[in-house]
Amino acid sequence: MKGRGALPLLALLLVAAFLASLAFGELRLSPMQVLDALFGRGDELTRTVIWDFRLPRTLVGLAAGAALAASGTVMQAFFRNPLADPGLLGVSSGGALGAVAVLALGPSLGLAAASLWTLPVASTVGAFGATGAVMMLAERGASTERLLLSGVALNALLGAGTSFLLTITAGHFEVNAQILFWLMGGLENRSWEHVWMGVPVIALGCALLLPLGRGLNLLSLGEQSAQSLGVDVHRLRRKLIVLATVLTALATATGGIIGFVGLVVPHVLRLVWGPDHRRLLPAAMLGGGTFLLACDLVTRLFPIGLRLGVVTAVVGGPFFLWLLRRPR
Amino acid sequence: MTAALQAAALSVPGRLEDVSLDLGPGELVAVVGPNGAGKSTLIQALAGLLPAEGQIRWNGQLLSEIPFQERGRRLAWVGQEALFDFAFPVRDVVAQGRYAWDDDPAGVVEALTAMDLVPLADRPVTQLSGGERHRVILARALATAAPLQLWDEPVAQLDVRHALEVYRLARHLAEAGGTVLVSLHDIRAAYRFDRVLVLDHGRLVGNGDPHAILTAGLIRAVFRVEATFVTSLVPELPVDPA
Repeated sequence: MKGRGALPLLALLLVAAFLASLAFGELRLSPMQVLDALFGRGDELTRTVIWDFRLPRTLVGLAAGAALAASGTVMQAFFRNPLADPGLLGVSSGGALGAVAVLALGPSLGLAAASLWTLPVASTVGAFGATGAVMMLAERGASTERLLLSGVALNALLGAGTSFLLTITAGHFEVNAQILFWLMGGLENRSWEHVWMGVPVIALGCALLLPLGRGLNLLSLGEQSAQSLGVDVHRLRRKLIVLATVLTALATATGGIIGFVGLVVPHVLRLVWGPDHRRLLPAAMLGGGTFLLACDLVTRLFPIGLRLGVVTAVVGGPFFLWLLRRPR
Repeated sequence: MTAALQAAALSVPGRLEDVSLDLGPGELVAVVGPNGAGKSTLIQALAGLLPAEGQIRWNGQLLSEIPFQERGRRLAWVGQEALFDFAFPVRDVVAQGRYAWDDDPAGVVEALTAMDLVPLADRPVTQLSGGERHRVILARALATAAPLQLWDEPVAQLDVRHALEVYRLARHLAEAGGTVLVSLHDIRAAYRFDRVLVLDHGRLVGNGDPHAILTAGLIRAVFRVEATFVTSLVPELPVDPA
Protein backbone atom coordinates (compact mmCIF):
# COMPACT_ATOMS: atom_id res chain seq x y z
CA MET A 1 0.00 0.00 0.00
CA LYS A 2 1.26 3.42 -0.96
CA GLY A 3 2.40 5.58 1.94
CA ARG A 4 2.73 2.90 4.60
CA GLY A 5 5.91 4.44 5.99
CA ALA A 6 4.56 7.98 5.87
CA LEU A 7 3.36 8.41 9.43
CA PRO A 8 6.41 7.01 11.24
CA LEU A 9 8.70 9.09 9.02
CA LEU A 10 6.70 12.26 9.66
CA ALA A 11 6.59 11.56 13.39
CA LEU A 12 10.37 11.21 13.38
CA LEU A 13 10.76 14.51 11.52
CA LEU A 14 8.45 16.19 14.01
CA VAL A 15 10.52 14.95 16.96
CA ALA A 16 13.67 16.24 15.24
CA ALA A 17 12.06 19.66 14.58
CA PHE A 18 10.80 19.76 18.17
CA LEU A 19 14.29 19.13 19.61
CA ALA A 20 15.93 21.55 17.15
CA SER A 21 13.40 24.21 18.12
CA LEU A 22 14.44 23.75 21.75
CA ALA A 23 18.17 23.65 20.99
CA PHE A 24 18.68 26.59 18.62
CA GLY A 25 18.51 30.29 19.33
CA GLU A 26 20.71 32.92 20.89
CA LEU A 27 21.87 30.30 23.35
CA ARG A 28 22.84 27.14 21.48
CA LEU A 29 22.27 23.93 23.38
CA SER A 30 23.33 20.37 22.68
CA PRO A 31 20.65 17.65 22.47
CA MET A 32 21.90 16.31 25.84
CA GLN A 33 21.50 19.74 27.44
CA VAL A 34 17.99 20.00 26.03
CA LEU A 35 16.98 16.61 27.41
CA ASP A 36 18.60 17.36 30.77
CA ALA A 37 16.74 20.61 31.06
CA LEU A 38 13.45 18.97 30.01
CA PHE A 39 13.82 16.49 32.85
CA GLY A 40 14.69 19.24 35.33
CA ARG A 41 18.43 18.63 35.41
CA GLY A 42 21.30 20.89 34.32
CA ASP A 43 22.00 24.51 35.16
CA GLU A 44 19.31 27.00 35.99
CA LEU A 45 19.85 29.29 33.00
CA THR A 46 19.35 26.42 30.57
CA ARG A 47 16.26 25.25 32.43
CA THR A 48 14.81 28.75 32.34
CA VAL A 49 15.51 29.13 28.62
CA ILE A 50 13.91 25.78 27.84
CA TRP A 51 10.95 25.84 30.21
CA ASP A 52 9.99 29.51 30.19
CA PHE A 53 10.77 30.47 26.63
CA ARG A 54 11.44 27.76 24.09
CA LEU A 55 9.03 25.04 25.20
CA PRO A 56 5.90 27.22 25.11
CA ARG A 57 7.02 28.75 21.82
CA THR A 58 7.63 25.29 20.35
CA LEU A 59 4.33 23.87 21.60
CA VAL A 60 2.35 26.80 20.23
CA GLY A 61 4.16 26.53 16.88
CA LEU A 62 3.57 22.79 16.68
CA ALA A 63 -0.12 23.11 17.51
CA ALA A 64 -0.69 26.06 15.18
CA GLY A 65 1.07 24.27 12.30
CA ALA A 66 -0.90 21.08 12.88
CA ALA A 67 -4.17 23.01 13.12
CA LEU A 68 -3.60 25.06 9.95
CA ALA A 69 -2.49 22.06 7.89
CA ALA A 70 -5.41 19.92 9.09
CA SER A 71 -7.78 22.77 8.37
CA GLY A 72 -6.32 23.20 4.88
CA THR A 73 -6.64 19.46 4.18
CA VAL A 74 -10.30 19.55 5.14
CA MET A 75 -11.05 22.63 3.04
CA GLN A 76 -9.33 21.32 -0.08
CA ALA A 77 -11.36 18.12 0.05
CA PHE A 78 -14.51 19.95 1.08
CA PHE A 79 -14.32 22.38 -1.85
CA ARG A 80 -12.75 19.83 -4.20
CA ASN A 81 -10.26 22.54 -4.99
CA PRO A 82 -6.51 22.23 -4.45
CA LEU A 83 -6.26 25.99 -3.99
CA ALA A 84 -8.56 26.11 -0.96
CA ASP A 85 -7.08 27.01 2.41
CA PRO A 86 -8.23 28.33 5.79
CA GLY A 87 -8.04 31.92 4.55
CA LEU A 88 -10.53 31.11 1.82
CA LEU A 89 -13.71 31.08 3.89
CA GLY A 90 -12.82 34.41 5.46
CA VAL A 91 -11.99 32.74 8.77
CA SER A 92 -8.53 34.31 8.99
CA SER A 93 -9.89 37.71 7.98
CA GLY A 94 -12.58 37.41 10.63
CA GLY A 95 -9.97 36.56 13.23
CA ALA A 96 -7.79 39.46 12.08
CA LEU A 97 -10.64 41.95 12.29
CA GLY A 98 -11.61 40.78 15.77
CA ALA A 99 -8.07 41.14 17.09
CA VAL A 100 -7.38 44.45 15.35
CA ALA A 101 -10.66 45.86 16.67
CA VAL A 102 -9.58 45.14 20.24
CA LEU A 103 -6.11 46.59 19.63
CA ALA A 104 -7.44 49.72 17.97
CA LEU A 105 -10.60 50.39 19.94
CA GLY A 106 -9.89 48.60 23.20
CA PRO A 107 -8.11 51.45 25.01
CA SER A 108 -10.97 53.89 24.47
CA LEU A 109 -13.44 51.23 25.67
CA GLY A 110 -11.41 50.59 28.80
CA LEU A 111 -10.27 47.13 27.65
CA ALA A 112 -6.71 46.07 28.26
CA ALA A 113 -5.87 45.75 24.58
CA ALA A 114 -2.69 43.77 24.94
CA SER A 115 -4.10 41.38 27.52
CA LEU A 116 -3.31 37.79 26.75
CA TRP A 117 -6.97 36.86 26.90
CA THR A 118 -8.84 39.68 25.18
CA LEU A 119 -6.85 39.43 21.98
CA PRO A 120 -7.22 35.68 21.33
CA VAL A 121 -10.83 35.69 22.48
CA ALA A 122 -11.65 38.58 20.15
CA SER A 123 -9.94 36.90 17.19
CA THR A 124 -11.75 33.64 17.91
CA VAL A 125 -15.07 35.46 18.08
CA GLY A 126 -14.21 37.16 14.78
CA ALA A 127 -13.32 33.87 13.12
CA PHE A 128 -16.55 32.27 14.25
CA GLY A 129 -18.48 35.29 13.10
CA ALA A 130 -16.99 34.91 9.65
CA THR A 131 -17.75 31.19 9.47
CA GLY A 132 -21.24 31.77 10.80
CA ALA A 133 -21.86 34.30 8.07
CA VAL A 134 -20.56 31.95 5.36
CA MET A 135 -22.66 29.09 6.70
CA MET A 136 -25.79 31.22 6.78
CA LEU A 137 -25.16 32.39 3.23
CA ALA A 138 -24.49 28.86 2.08
CA GLU A 139 -27.25 27.12 4.04
CA ARG A 140 -29.87 28.15 1.49
CA GLY A 141 -28.09 27.11 -1.66
CA ALA A 142 -25.62 24.80 0.07
CA SER A 143 -23.59 24.37 -3.11
CA THR A 144 -19.84 24.49 -3.02
CA GLU A 145 -19.68 27.36 -5.50
CA ARG A 146 -21.93 29.45 -3.33
CA LEU A 147 -19.88 28.75 -0.23
CA LEU A 148 -16.67 29.72 -2.03
CA LEU A 149 -18.11 32.95 -3.39
CA SER A 150 -19.49 33.84 0.03
CA GLY A 151 -15.97 33.44 1.38
CA VAL A 152 -14.55 35.70 -1.32
CA ALA A 153 -17.05 38.46 -0.58
CA LEU A 154 -16.62 38.13 3.15
CA ASN A 155 -12.83 38.26 2.84
CA ALA A 156 -13.06 41.54 0.96
CA LEU A 157 -15.48 43.02 3.47
CA LEU A 158 -13.49 41.99 6.56
CA GLY A 159 -10.21 43.05 4.96
CA ALA A 160 -11.68 46.50 4.35
CA GLY A 161 -12.66 46.72 8.01
CA THR A 162 -9.13 45.80 9.11
CA SER A 163 -7.58 48.36 6.74
CA PHE A 164 -9.92 51.04 8.09
CA LEU A 165 -8.89 50.32 11.70
CA LEU A 166 -5.21 50.38 10.71
CA THR A 167 -5.73 53.77 9.07
CA ILE A 168 -7.51 55.41 12.00
CA THR A 169 -4.77 54.31 14.40
CA ALA A 170 -2.03 55.57 12.08
CA GLY A 171 -0.92 58.20 14.62
CA HIS A 172 -0.47 55.72 17.47
CA PHE A 173 2.85 54.09 16.87
CA GLU A 174 2.62 51.49 19.59
CA VAL A 175 -0.87 50.32 18.62
CA ASN A 176 0.12 50.24 14.98
CA ALA A 177 3.25 48.23 15.70
CA GLN A 178 1.23 45.73 17.72
CA ILE A 179 -1.33 45.35 14.97
CA LEU A 180 1.33 44.80 12.34
CA PHE A 181 3.22 42.35 14.57
CA TRP A 182 0.04 40.33 14.94
CA LEU A 183 -1.02 40.55 11.29
CA MET A 184 2.32 39.13 10.13
CA GLY A 185 2.18 36.20 12.54
CA GLY A 186 4.92 34.98 14.80
CA LEU A 187 5.87 32.87 17.77
CA GLU A 188 7.95 35.41 19.69
CA ASN A 189 7.18 35.78 23.37
CA ARG A 190 4.73 32.89 23.42
CA SER A 191 4.12 31.97 27.05
CA TRP A 192 2.38 29.15 28.87
CA GLU A 193 -0.82 31.22 28.78
CA HIS A 194 -0.73 30.92 25.01
CA VAL A 195 -0.15 27.18 25.32
CA TRP A 196 -3.13 26.62 27.59
CA MET A 197 -5.24 28.94 25.48
CA GLY A 198 -4.67 27.07 22.23
CA VAL A 199 -3.05 23.68 22.53
CA PRO A 200 -5.69 21.62 24.41
CA VAL A 201 -8.55 22.67 22.14
CA ILE A 202 -6.40 22.19 19.02
CA ALA A 203 -5.52 18.70 20.23
CA LEU A 204 -9.19 17.94 20.82
CA GLY A 205 -10.16 19.30 17.41
CA CYS A 206 -7.51 17.18 15.70
CA ALA A 207 -8.68 14.09 17.58
CA LEU A 208 -12.28 14.70 16.49
CA LEU A 209 -11.19 15.22 12.89
CA LEU A 210 -9.23 11.98 12.51
CA PRO A 211 -12.22 9.59 12.32
CA LEU A 212 -13.81 11.72 9.58
CA GLY A 213 -11.16 10.73 7.02
CA ARG A 214 -13.30 7.93 5.54
CA GLY A 215 -16.24 10.23 4.93
CA LEU A 216 -13.96 12.98 3.65
CA ASN A 217 -12.62 10.59 1.01
CA LEU A 218 -16.12 10.12 -0.38
CA LEU A 219 -17.03 13.78 -0.03
CA SER A 220 -13.90 14.80 -1.95
CA LEU A 221 -15.25 12.92 -4.99
CA GLY A 222 -18.66 14.56 -4.99
CA GLU A 223 -21.48 15.32 -2.57
CA GLN A 224 -24.23 13.42 -4.38
CA SER A 225 -22.18 10.29 -4.87
CA ALA A 226 -21.05 10.46 -1.23
CA GLN A 227 -24.66 10.65 -0.08
CA SER A 228 -25.71 7.84 -2.39
CA LEU A 229 -23.01 5.63 -0.86
CA GLY A 230 -24.37 6.13 2.65
CA VAL A 231 -22.75 9.32 3.97
CA ASP A 232 -24.92 11.78 5.90
CA VAL A 233 -23.46 14.61 3.83
CA HIS A 234 -25.23 17.46 5.58
CA ARG A 235 -24.02 16.41 9.00
CA LEU A 236 -20.50 15.60 7.85
CA ARG A 237 -20.16 18.98 6.11
CA ARG A 238 -21.27 20.76 9.26
CA LYS A 239 -18.82 18.87 11.48
CA LEU A 240 -15.98 19.52 9.07
CA ILE A 241 -16.65 23.23 8.77
CA VAL A 242 -16.95 23.74 12.54
CA LEU A 243 -13.76 21.81 13.26
CA ALA A 244 -11.80 23.55 10.49
CA THR A 245 -12.95 26.94 11.84
CA VAL A 246 -12.05 26.16 15.44
CA LEU A 247 -8.61 24.95 14.40
CA THR A 248 -7.93 28.01 12.23
CA ALA A 249 -9.28 30.39 14.86
CA LEU A 250 -7.08 29.02 17.62
CA ALA A 251 -3.99 28.89 15.42
CA THR A 252 -4.61 32.53 14.47
CA ALA A 253 -5.37 33.49 18.07
CA THR A 254 -2.11 32.10 19.41
CA GLY A 255 0.29 32.77 16.52
CA GLY A 256 -1.26 35.55 14.46
CA ILE A 257 -1.99 35.23 10.76
CA ILE A 258 0.33 32.61 9.30
CA GLY A 259 -0.48 32.03 5.65
CA PHE A 260 0.14 29.15 3.24
CA VAL A 261 0.69 26.38 5.81
CA GLY A 262 -2.77 25.03 5.04
CA LEU A 263 -2.02 25.16 1.33
CA VAL A 264 1.52 23.84 1.07
CA VAL A 265 1.58 21.04 3.62
CA PRO A 266 -1.43 18.98 2.49
CA HIS A 267 -0.37 19.43 -1.11
CA VAL A 268 3.14 18.15 -0.74
CA LEU A 269 1.93 15.20 1.33
CA ARG A 270 -0.79 14.37 -1.21
CA LEU A 271 1.72 14.42 -4.05
CA VAL A 272 4.03 12.04 -2.20
CA TRP A 273 1.59 9.68 -0.47
CA GLY A 274 -1.72 10.01 -2.30
CA PRO A 275 -5.08 11.52 -1.39
CA ASP A 276 -6.46 8.97 1.13
CA HIS A 277 -7.63 11.20 3.98
CA ARG A 278 -7.48 8.45 6.55
CA ARG A 279 -3.72 8.82 6.22
CA LEU A 280 -3.53 12.38 4.89
CA LEU A 281 -5.20 13.97 7.94
CA PRO A 282 -2.74 12.65 10.54
CA ALA A 283 0.12 13.21 8.08
CA ALA A 284 -0.91 16.85 7.63
CA MET A 285 -1.05 17.37 11.38
CA LEU A 286 2.47 15.98 11.84
CA GLY A 287 3.80 17.68 8.70
CA GLY A 288 2.17 21.03 9.54
CA GLY A 289 3.76 21.09 12.99
CA THR A 290 7.15 20.21 11.51
CA PHE A 291 6.87 22.80 8.74
CA LEU A 292 5.95 25.63 11.09
CA LEU A 293 8.71 24.78 13.57
CA ALA A 294 11.21 24.68 10.69
CA CYS A 295 10.04 28.09 9.42
CA ASP A 296 10.26 29.50 12.95
CA LEU A 297 13.82 28.12 13.23
CA VAL A 298 14.71 30.06 10.09
CA THR A 299 13.58 33.30 11.73
CA ARG A 300 15.76 32.51 14.75
CA LEU A 301 18.84 31.27 12.90
CA PHE A 302 18.87 34.30 10.61
CA PRO A 303 18.01 37.12 13.01
CA ILE A 304 17.61 39.80 10.35
CA GLY A 305 14.08 40.74 11.30
CA LEU A 306 12.34 37.93 9.41
CA ARG A 307 8.79 37.23 10.56
CA LEU A 308 7.24 33.78 10.65
CA GLY A 309 4.41 34.85 8.34
CA VAL A 310 7.00 36.22 5.92
CA VAL A 311 8.94 32.94 5.86
CA THR A 312 5.84 30.82 5.25
CA ALA A 313 4.80 33.27 2.51
CA VAL A 314 8.22 33.08 0.84
CA VAL A 315 7.85 29.29 0.71
CA GLY A 316 4.11 29.26 0.01
CA GLY A 317 3.76 32.08 -2.51
CA PRO A 318 5.87 30.53 -5.27
CA PHE A 319 4.34 27.14 -4.50
CA PHE A 320 0.85 28.60 -4.97
CA LEU A 321 1.88 30.12 -8.32
CA TRP A 322 3.36 26.80 -9.39
CA LEU A 323 0.06 25.09 -8.53
CA LEU A 324 -1.85 27.69 -10.52
CA ARG A 325 0.24 27.02 -13.62
CA ARG A 326 0.00 23.28 -13.26
CA PRO A 327 -2.69 21.60 -15.37
CA ARG A 328 -5.36 20.15 -13.08
CA MET B 1 -45.89 -7.99 -3.70
CA THR B 2 -44.26 -4.89 -2.22
CA ALA B 3 -42.94 -2.52 -4.84
CA ALA B 4 -39.16 -2.19 -4.76
CA LEU B 5 -39.27 1.44 -5.74
CA GLN B 6 -42.36 3.58 -5.54
CA ALA B 7 -43.05 7.25 -6.12
CA ALA B 8 -46.34 9.04 -5.50
CA ALA B 9 -46.98 12.54 -6.86
CA LEU B 10 -43.25 13.19 -7.06
CA SER B 11 -42.43 16.79 -8.02
CA VAL B 12 -39.31 18.90 -8.19
CA PRO B 13 -40.35 22.50 -8.87
CA GLY B 14 -39.61 23.46 -12.47
CA ARG B 15 -38.10 20.10 -13.37
CA LEU B 16 -40.43 17.25 -12.54
CA GLU B 17 -44.19 17.30 -12.23
CA ASP B 18 -46.45 14.86 -10.45
CA VAL B 19 -44.73 11.61 -11.37
CA SER B 20 -46.10 8.41 -9.88
CA LEU B 21 -44.60 5.03 -10.57
CA ASP B 22 -44.15 1.62 -9.12
CA LEU B 23 -41.19 -0.62 -9.96
CA GLY B 24 -41.06 -4.24 -8.89
CA PRO B 25 -38.16 -6.45 -7.93
CA GLY B 26 -36.56 -8.12 -10.93
CA GLU B 27 -37.57 -5.36 -13.32
CA LEU B 28 -35.21 -3.84 -15.86
CA VAL B 29 -36.55 -0.39 -16.65
CA ALA B 30 -35.42 2.27 -19.11
CA VAL B 31 -36.09 6.01 -18.84
CA VAL B 32 -36.13 7.95 -22.11
CA GLY B 33 -36.99 11.46 -23.10
CA PRO B 34 -35.48 14.46 -24.87
CA ASN B 35 -32.76 16.62 -23.32
CA GLY B 36 -34.12 18.45 -20.29
CA ALA B 37 -37.16 16.17 -19.96
CA GLY B 38 -36.25 15.39 -16.34
CA LYS B 39 -34.55 11.97 -16.60
CA SER B 40 -31.64 12.86 -14.32
CA THR B 41 -33.93 14.74 -11.94
CA LEU B 42 -36.24 11.73 -11.66
CA ILE B 43 -33.32 9.39 -10.97
CA GLN B 44 -31.75 11.72 -8.39
CA ALA B 45 -35.09 12.31 -6.66
CA LEU B 46 -35.80 8.56 -6.47
CA ALA B 47 -32.32 8.05 -5.03
CA GLY B 48 -33.02 10.67 -2.36
CA LEU B 49 -30.34 13.02 -3.63
CA LEU B 50 -32.64 15.96 -4.36
CA PRO B 51 -35.23 17.69 -2.23
CA ALA B 52 -38.54 16.66 -3.79
CA GLU B 53 -42.23 16.89 -3.01
CA GLY B 54 -44.37 13.78 -2.85
CA GLN B 55 -43.65 10.35 -1.43
CA ILE B 56 -40.86 7.93 -2.20
CA ARG B 57 -40.80 4.42 -0.81
CA TRP B 58 -38.08 1.81 -1.04
CA ASN B 59 -39.47 -1.67 -0.37
CA GLY B 60 -42.56 -0.08 1.09
CA GLN B 61 -40.58 2.03 3.56
CA LEU B 62 -40.74 5.82 3.39
CA LEU B 63 -37.38 7.13 2.20
CA SER B 64 -37.30 9.81 4.91
CA GLU B 65 -37.39 7.05 7.52
CA ILE B 66 -34.38 5.17 6.15
CA PRO B 67 -31.05 6.13 7.77
CA PHE B 68 -28.29 7.24 5.44
CA GLN B 69 -26.04 4.23 5.94
CA GLU B 70 -28.95 1.87 5.23
CA ARG B 71 -29.70 3.85 2.06
CA GLY B 72 -26.14 3.18 0.89
CA ARG B 73 -26.75 -0.55 1.27
CA ARG B 74 -30.08 -0.56 -0.54
CA LEU B 75 -29.60 1.76 -3.50
CA ALA B 76 -26.71 2.61 -5.77
CA TRP B 77 -26.69 5.68 -7.99
CA VAL B 78 -24.49 6.26 -11.00
CA GLY B 79 -24.38 9.90 -12.01
CA GLN B 80 -24.14 11.24 -15.50
CA GLU B 81 -20.80 12.88 -14.78
CA ALA B 82 -17.75 10.96 -13.67
CA LEU B 83 -15.37 13.71 -12.64
CA PHE B 84 -12.64 13.23 -10.06
CA ASP B 85 -10.63 16.02 -8.46
CA PHE B 86 -8.31 13.82 -6.44
CA ALA B 87 -6.00 11.14 -7.74
CA PHE B 88 -7.36 8.12 -5.88
CA PRO B 89 -6.40 4.78 -7.45
CA VAL B 90 -9.26 3.06 -9.32
CA ARG B 91 -9.29 0.25 -6.73
CA ASP B 92 -9.89 2.74 -3.86
CA VAL B 93 -12.76 4.46 -5.66
CA VAL B 94 -14.48 1.13 -6.35
CA ALA B 95 -13.88 0.11 -2.72
CA GLN B 96 -15.80 3.24 -1.66
CA GLY B 97 -18.89 1.31 -2.72
CA ARG B 98 -18.37 -0.63 0.52
CA TYR B 99 -18.63 2.47 2.74
CA ALA B 100 -22.09 1.57 4.00
CA TRP B 101 -20.82 -1.94 4.76
CA ASP B 102 -18.07 -0.59 7.03
CA ASP B 103 -15.49 -1.14 4.29
CA ASP B 104 -15.95 -4.91 4.20
CA PRO B 105 -14.14 -5.59 0.88
CA ALA B 106 -16.53 -8.29 -0.37
CA GLY B 107 -17.34 -7.91 -4.05
CA VAL B 108 -14.76 -5.25 -4.90
CA VAL B 109 -12.63 -7.55 -7.05
CA GLU B 110 -15.74 -8.91 -8.79
CA ALA B 111 -16.90 -5.37 -9.52
CA LEU B 112 -13.50 -4.45 -10.97
CA THR B 113 -13.58 -7.58 -13.10
CA ALA B 114 -17.15 -7.00 -14.28
CA MET B 115 -16.24 -3.54 -15.54
CA ASP B 116 -12.99 -4.71 -17.11
CA LEU B 117 -10.95 -2.55 -14.74
CA VAL B 118 -8.46 -5.04 -13.34
CA PRO B 119 -5.63 -3.81 -15.60
CA LEU B 120 -6.37 -0.23 -14.50
CA ALA B 121 -6.86 -0.96 -10.79
CA ASP B 122 -3.75 0.88 -9.61
CA ARG B 123 -4.02 3.84 -11.98
CA PRO B 124 -5.12 7.22 -10.58
CA VAL B 125 -8.71 7.92 -11.66
CA THR B 126 -7.67 11.39 -12.79
CA GLN B 127 -5.61 9.84 -15.60
CA LEU B 128 -8.44 7.82 -17.15
CA SER B 129 -10.53 8.62 -20.20
CA GLY B 130 -14.19 9.63 -19.86
CA GLY B 131 -15.46 6.16 -20.69
CA GLU B 132 -13.02 4.52 -18.29
CA ARG B 133 -14.11 6.86 -15.51
CA HIS B 134 -17.74 5.87 -16.14
CA ARG B 135 -16.78 2.22 -15.83
CA VAL B 136 -15.18 3.10 -12.46
CA ILE B 137 -18.37 4.63 -11.06
CA LEU B 138 -20.41 1.72 -12.44
CA ALA B 139 -18.05 -0.69 -10.70
CA ARG B 140 -18.44 1.30 -7.48
CA ALA B 141 -22.23 0.96 -7.80
CA LEU B 142 -21.89 -2.80 -8.35
CA ALA B 143 -19.63 -3.09 -5.30
CA THR B 144 -22.42 -1.75 -3.07
CA ALA B 145 -24.37 -4.96 -3.79
CA ALA B 146 -27.49 -2.79 -3.51
CA PRO B 147 -30.68 -4.35 -4.93
CA LEU B 148 -31.82 -0.98 -6.31
CA GLN B 149 -29.53 0.25 -9.08
CA LEU B 150 -30.22 3.66 -10.66
CA TRP B 151 -27.90 4.51 -13.53
CA ASP B 152 -28.03 7.85 -15.29
CA GLU B 153 -26.91 7.47 -18.91
CA PRO B 154 -24.25 4.94 -18.06
CA VAL B 155 -23.39 4.05 -21.65
CA ALA B 156 -23.31 7.51 -23.21
CA GLN B 157 -19.51 7.58 -23.19
CA LEU B 158 -18.78 3.88 -23.55
CA ASP B 159 -17.55 2.06 -26.62
CA VAL B 160 -19.95 -0.49 -28.06
CA ARG B 161 -18.38 -3.52 -26.37
CA HIS B 162 -18.48 -1.98 -22.92
CA ALA B 163 -21.95 -0.56 -23.55
CA LEU B 164 -23.25 -4.03 -24.36
CA GLU B 165 -21.51 -5.35 -21.28
CA VAL B 166 -23.36 -2.76 -19.17
CA TYR B 167 -26.72 -3.84 -20.65
CA ARG B 168 -25.83 -7.46 -19.98
CA LEU B 169 -24.96 -6.66 -16.37
CA ALA B 170 -28.17 -4.71 -15.90
CA ARG B 171 -30.14 -7.72 -17.15
CA HIS B 172 -28.15 -10.03 -14.91
CA LEU B 173 -28.83 -7.87 -11.82
CA ALA B 174 -32.54 -7.80 -12.62
CA GLU B 175 -32.65 -11.57 -13.09
CA ALA B 176 -31.03 -11.90 -9.67
CA GLY B 177 -34.02 -10.01 -8.21
CA GLY B 178 -32.70 -6.47 -8.34
CA THR B 179 -34.50 -3.43 -9.70
CA VAL B 180 -32.49 -1.62 -12.35
CA LEU B 181 -33.49 1.78 -13.69
CA VAL B 182 -31.37 3.10 -16.54
CA SER B 183 -31.75 6.37 -18.41
CA LEU B 184 -30.91 6.19 -22.09
CA HIS B 185 -30.34 8.47 -25.01
CA ASP B 186 -30.63 5.73 -27.54
CA ILE B 187 -34.35 4.90 -27.58
CA ARG B 188 -33.64 1.89 -29.80
CA ALA B 189 -31.97 0.18 -26.83
CA ALA B 190 -35.10 0.69 -24.74
CA TYR B 191 -36.91 -2.05 -26.70
CA ARG B 192 -34.79 -4.61 -24.91
CA PHE B 193 -35.91 -3.50 -21.46
CA ASP B 194 -38.87 -4.93 -19.53
CA ARG B 195 -40.44 -1.55 -19.21
CA VAL B 196 -39.92 1.96 -20.45
CA LEU B 197 -40.72 5.28 -18.79
CA VAL B 198 -41.09 8.23 -21.18
CA LEU B 199 -40.57 11.71 -19.78
CA ASP B 200 -41.43 14.94 -21.54
CA HIS B 201 -41.23 18.40 -19.96
CA GLY B 202 -40.99 16.88 -16.50
CA ARG B 203 -44.11 14.74 -16.93
CA LEU B 204 -44.39 10.99 -17.20
CA VAL B 205 -46.11 10.51 -20.57
CA GLY B 206 -45.52 6.81 -21.05
CA ASN B 207 -45.04 3.87 -18.71
CA GLY B 208 -45.20 0.24 -19.82
CA ASP B 209 -43.99 -2.40 -22.28
CA PRO B 210 -41.61 -0.66 -24.70
CA HIS B 211 -43.27 -2.24 -27.74
CA ALA B 212 -46.63 -0.91 -26.67
CA ILE B 213 -45.40 2.48 -25.51
CA LEU B 214 -42.76 3.53 -28.02
CA THR B 215 -45.06 3.95 -30.98
CA ALA B 216 -44.26 6.14 -33.95
CA GLY B 217 -46.94 8.57 -32.72
CA LEU B 218 -45.47 8.93 -29.24
CA ILE B 219 -41.95 9.32 -30.58
CA ARG B 220 -43.15 12.03 -32.96
CA ALA B 221 -44.96 13.84 -30.15
CA VAL B 222 -42.15 13.59 -27.57
CA PHE B 223 -38.94 13.65 -29.58
CA ARG B 224 -40.26 15.55 -32.60
CA VAL B 225 -38.70 13.14 -35.09
CA GLU B 226 -40.25 10.77 -37.56
CA ALA B 227 -39.62 7.30 -36.24
CA THR B 228 -38.21 5.12 -38.94
CA PHE B 229 -36.30 2.46 -37.09
CA VAL B 230 -33.34 0.71 -38.55
CA THR B 231 -33.79 -2.48 -36.64
CA SER B 232 -30.40 -3.82 -37.67
CA LEU B 233 -28.78 -1.19 -35.47
CA VAL B 234 -30.55 -2.35 -32.31
CA PRO B 235 -27.72 -3.62 -30.09
CA GLU B 236 -28.09 -7.27 -29.36
CA LEU B 237 -28.22 -7.94 -25.66
CA PRO B 238 -26.08 -11.01 -25.15
CA VAL B 239 -27.98 -13.81 -23.48
CA ASP B 240 -26.81 -14.16 -19.93
CA PRO B 241 -25.14 -17.53 -19.52
CA ALA B 242 -26.13 -17.77 -15.85
